[in-house]
Amino acid sequence: MSPAYILKRILLIGYTLLVVSLIVFAITQILPADAAVMMLGENATPDALAALRVKMGLNDSIWLQYLHWLAGVLHGDFGLSMRTGQPVAPAMFEALGRSLLLALFSIVLMLVLAIPLGIIAAVRRGRAVDLGVSFLSYVGVSLPEFVTATLVVLVLADWLQWLPATGYVPLTEDPLRGLRHLVLPVLTVSLILIAHVSRMVRSELVDVLHSDYIRAARLKGLSKRQVLFKHALRNALLPTITIVALDVGYLLGGVIVVEEIFALPGIGRQLIVAIQARDLPSIQAGALILATTYAVANFLADIAYAWLDRRIQYD
Amino acid sequence: MATPILDIAGYGLDYATPAGFTRALDDVTLSIARGEVLGLVGESGSGKTSLAWAIMRHLPKSAREAGAIRLTGQDLLKTSEAEIEAIRGKRIGMVFQDPSTSLNPTLSLGTQLAEVLVRHRGLTRKQAWAEGEERLAHVGLKVPGQMMRRYPHEASGGEKQRVVIATAFACQPECIIFDEPTTALDVITARQILDLFKELQAETGVASLYISHDLALVSQIATKVAVIHRGKIVEQGAVAEVFARPRDAYTQKLLAAVPRPDHRLVDTAAPAAGKPLVEVEKVSVHYGRKPFLGRLLGRANTQFTGNREVSLCVMPGEILGIVGESGSGKSTLAKAMTGLNRFEGEIRFAGRRIAGLGDMDRAYRRDVQIIFQHPDSSLNPRQRIREILSRPLELYGEPGARKDAAAIGELLEQVRLPASFAERYPHQLSGGEKQRVAIARAFASKPKLVICDEITSALDVSVQASVVELLVDLQKRFGTAYLFITHDLNLVRQIAHRVAVMYRGDLVDLVDVAALTDGTLHPYTRSLLDAVPAPAAAAA
Amino acid sequence: MIEILKRMLRSPQGALGLVIVGLILLAVIVGPWFAPYDPEKMAPLMRYKPPSAQFWLGTDQYGRDILSRLLHGARATVVMAVIATALGTLVGAVVGTISAFLGGRSDEAIMRTVDAIMSIPSLLLALLIVNLLGKSSVNALLAIALAFAPGMARVTRSVALAVRKQDYVNAAIARGESAAYIVGREMLPNVVAPIVVEMTIRVAFAVMLFATLSFLGLGAQPPASEWGLMVAEARRFMHLSPWMILWPSLAVALVAIGFNLLGDGLRDALNPRS
Repeated sequence: MSPAYILKRILLIGYTLLVVSLIVFAITQILPADAAVMMLGENATPDALAALRVKMGLNDSIWLQYLHWLAGVLHGDFGLSMRTGQPVAPAMFEALGRSLLLALFSIVLMLVLAIPLGIIAAVRRGRAVDLGVSFLSYVGVSLPEFVTATLVVLVLADWLQWLPATGYVPLTEDPLRGLRHLVLPVLTVSLILIAHVSRMVRSELVDVLHSDYIRAARLKGLSKRQVLFKHALRNALLPTITIVALDVGYLLGGVIVVEEIFALPGIGRQLIVAIQARDLPSIQAGALILATTYAVANFLADIAYAWLDRRIQYD
Repeated sequence: MATPILDIAGYGLDYATPAGFTRALDDVTLSIARGEVLGLVGESGSGKTSLAWAIMRHLPKSAREAGAIRLTGQDLLKTSEAEIEAIRGKRIGMVFQDPSTSLNPTLSLGTQLAEVLVRHRGLTRKQAWAEGEERLAHVGLKVPGQMMRRYPHEASGGEKQRVVIATAFACQPECIIFDEPTTALDVITARQILDLFKELQAETGVASLYISHDLALVSQIATKVAVIHRGKIVEQGAVAEVFARPRDAYTQKLLAAVPRPDHRLVDTAAPAAGKPLVEVEKVSVHYGRKPFLGRLLGRANTQFTGNREVSLCVMPGEILGIVGESGSGKSTLAKAMTGLNRFEGEIRFAGRRIAGLGDMDRAYRRDVQIIFQHPDSSLNPRQRIREILSRPLELYGEPGARKDAAAIGELLEQVRLPASFAERYPHQLSGGEKQRVAIARAFASKPKLVICDEITSALDVSVQASVVELLVDLQKRFGTAYLFITHDLNLVRQIAHRVAVMYRGDLVDLVDVAALTDGTLHPYTRSLLDAVPAPAAAAA
Repeated sequence: MIEILKRMLRSPQGALGLVIVGLILLAVIVGPWFAPYDPEKMAPLMRYKPPSAQFWLGTDQYGRDILSRLLHGARATVVMAVIATALGTLVGAVVGTISAFLGGRSDEAIMRTVDAIMSIPSLLLALLIVNLLGKSSVNALLAIALAFAPGMARVTRSVALAVRKQDYVNAAIARGESAAYIVGREMLPNVVAPIVVEMTIRVAFAVMLFATLSFLGLGAQPPASEWGLMVAEARRFMHLSPWMILWPSLAVALVAIGFNLLGDGLRDALNPRS
């Protein structure tokens, strides 16, 4: 992996974020709502509105507004919330922290369950275990988060009363209660990922187990176990890194829904609130931060892949 | 002779399928003693590889077996899985066809060699690594210490195959199965691997089962030969005996199909001199483009040269052979001449200048046709043969010329296929049949030059022979000139009038076919000729 | 067509997918006629009824028959998802084909931009677009179509490039065929199959996404009987009557499972060499 490859990837991230910022800005800025009216209310005097427009730069050309906004973003300044009048950035980043916690727990749970499930299904291909995992993964990828959430709340919170249905307690305040509140959201978010990734691990491993070099290793006298752990797994799990990174997109989408359902004050919920209130700076900030998270996850996955896979000659 | 190391008696193998049993091997009886090399010769689907898997006890669950496979008296069919694992790699080794797929791409070569020593000889990792280096030195690798640490993609095909061979010999096995170990390699590398095999075989006296489709090659290295056809051993005996007096009809057919330079299929005399049909002048082809970032970082141009100022000409009705290893630029030239590659330089066809793709008009394309190596890729899987063959008729046929079913039928019969094939899809045909369809498509426009790009290399020996015979026949009937691209020197010496030799993008030799035997040649051409095993004494 | 159907019935996924999707299409086409009640008729005395012989799946907070609402809602949910996917596929296929056709730097620029757009999670992109256009079913449909387009562009391009490398395309070029023939007769039939497969699987995602948008209050609006909206409305009454929320949730899941299975079955059946 050469420095040029890393440089190229960094340039690509820059380009990605530029395009994303343009899209986000374009989509939000052509909103039919007049930002000045929204802030001052319907009854504001025309003079006050005009003054505010000048102050907010709403009379400038759209490009100038974009550049102005972009310059602010690059300094970590996303503007003032139209809803609260407070700076957007601190609230958003605080919310992002909570969302990342949810995402992190979900990814860990997913890896812990999906990889062994995929391996077992591949090794016992065609047997009952394989069919079971296969069936569950079909069901898993077909359940939207709001359905999963409904089911887990019905069963675990309503009927069995094991866990709280909604709410959020910071881990720093009361770790145990905080964790109890996180269980249902994490289960909900990770289900679709577990289903998808276990299926991918299975099909990759089945392919690898059919390859010539696995047969060659078996014919050198190595046991099935040795071949599986030393020769096959590494090669089957490599592509999974990329798949997991791509799934971060679903994960972030799922986070939005799940936070709304479980009243978890993360960035997804902030975004929904902002969208419902037509709070432009908050929408822009939320969307941009989510997209950046995704782009960075993919960047890290690419670098990890390149580092682990010696075959690929990056230039 | 002493008791055989490997003794196969009345061995039969069937695979259970939903439709019943399919027979893979039928009453196979073979034996190999210490110091012997048994060449097992057969075409694809003959069951030769199934036999290798059966000996290695690597069969799918659907396999049903009969008979016995004995390794120094022990019947492997009755041996437990655990014991088999202890035998594999220790008492029976195996060398595989393609070293680029039989080595794990994410483990270093040393790891893959040393793990066998750890497994079977109980060495520590450190001892195994040191022993591994010695083993690599023994198979002729120059820098064994470095090679141990390399990954498969960092080694050449020949180096990798040497590592595989070192692994097979590592535990001094009694028997080694070689499954077409040189087929995936270039001619000269294959020769070197073959020499290594002979050397190690003589030194260790291991009982070798050498599986190959190449009769000429087997005649050089084996002491005994067995010919396998549709799962049955049709003939076996000492090499000299079988090659000189083949008794079985299939063996005779197989022997007759082997290309021999001394057995010309075309008149040696080149067509009467006159104006060349096509002249290629200083044609160069470059692949790839300058990477933007590379240029930014001031790195050298990474463009890859496919052809460097190649000049040659083809006379009307002439067969010009082009030989060279993979990557030598043979196909690149073919693609340039058919407008599939951009090129610099000039092509003159029947006196007309062709400076670029724009000059290749309908007349040029009608007169210059190309046939590709893999019919699987060159025939559209979603078109019926009828549609595939009707296109050139529609494009080049004279107005009013017939394009109906009868015309398609004639084209098929021209390449000795039944007219009823018109309604089939390519996947319903065998490899040889598909290639015949591709030939029919090329000849539909009655071209003056047909470029054959390795068109027989994906085919079995006997199928190759019939396709070559067909081509020669068509050449005689229509007086078509061929640019015959191949890596098979013996084949090209059978049919070409002149031979061009390419090496790393350069044309290094362009000589009459007779000059290959006694002319002055480029050193590369010389080494190419030396590398090719001359077929065994001509059969009747 | 018949041959493909036969091949599909041979694999368990294909057969099950065909059955499920077949039943769903039946519900879409003739469902409303078979609905036992008017889906919008309120009955104050019949609220929160559990499943019974009278109301097979029970009633909701206004006493409306859930089965009738589901049967009527099938059109709103499934047809919208299919149209959105088809539209997204069309846009994506055009962009992908153009990119593959242009090649070189234009191809790279287009694909980098597509990648950049894909780094906005599709739900988020759909949310932003609905927010821009306003809450309604049609706008949700457009949003999903636009959110799918980049992914389909990528798939189309890679398939087109793989086909472009095949020697039958080279043969056609060497033969001097027109660009229209090469694209239309040589490439398209080989490109369509993988795209149909991808599209079928994406219908499952579209159903989920569409229901999610409605669930968040940004898609179909009350009193529509769209399934995601039904789930959203039933959430408040979950403790009173879990049936209200269970049935539409399961309906969404069933449709998604059906299209996922159908896509995988099609993948196997459409491979001409298998």
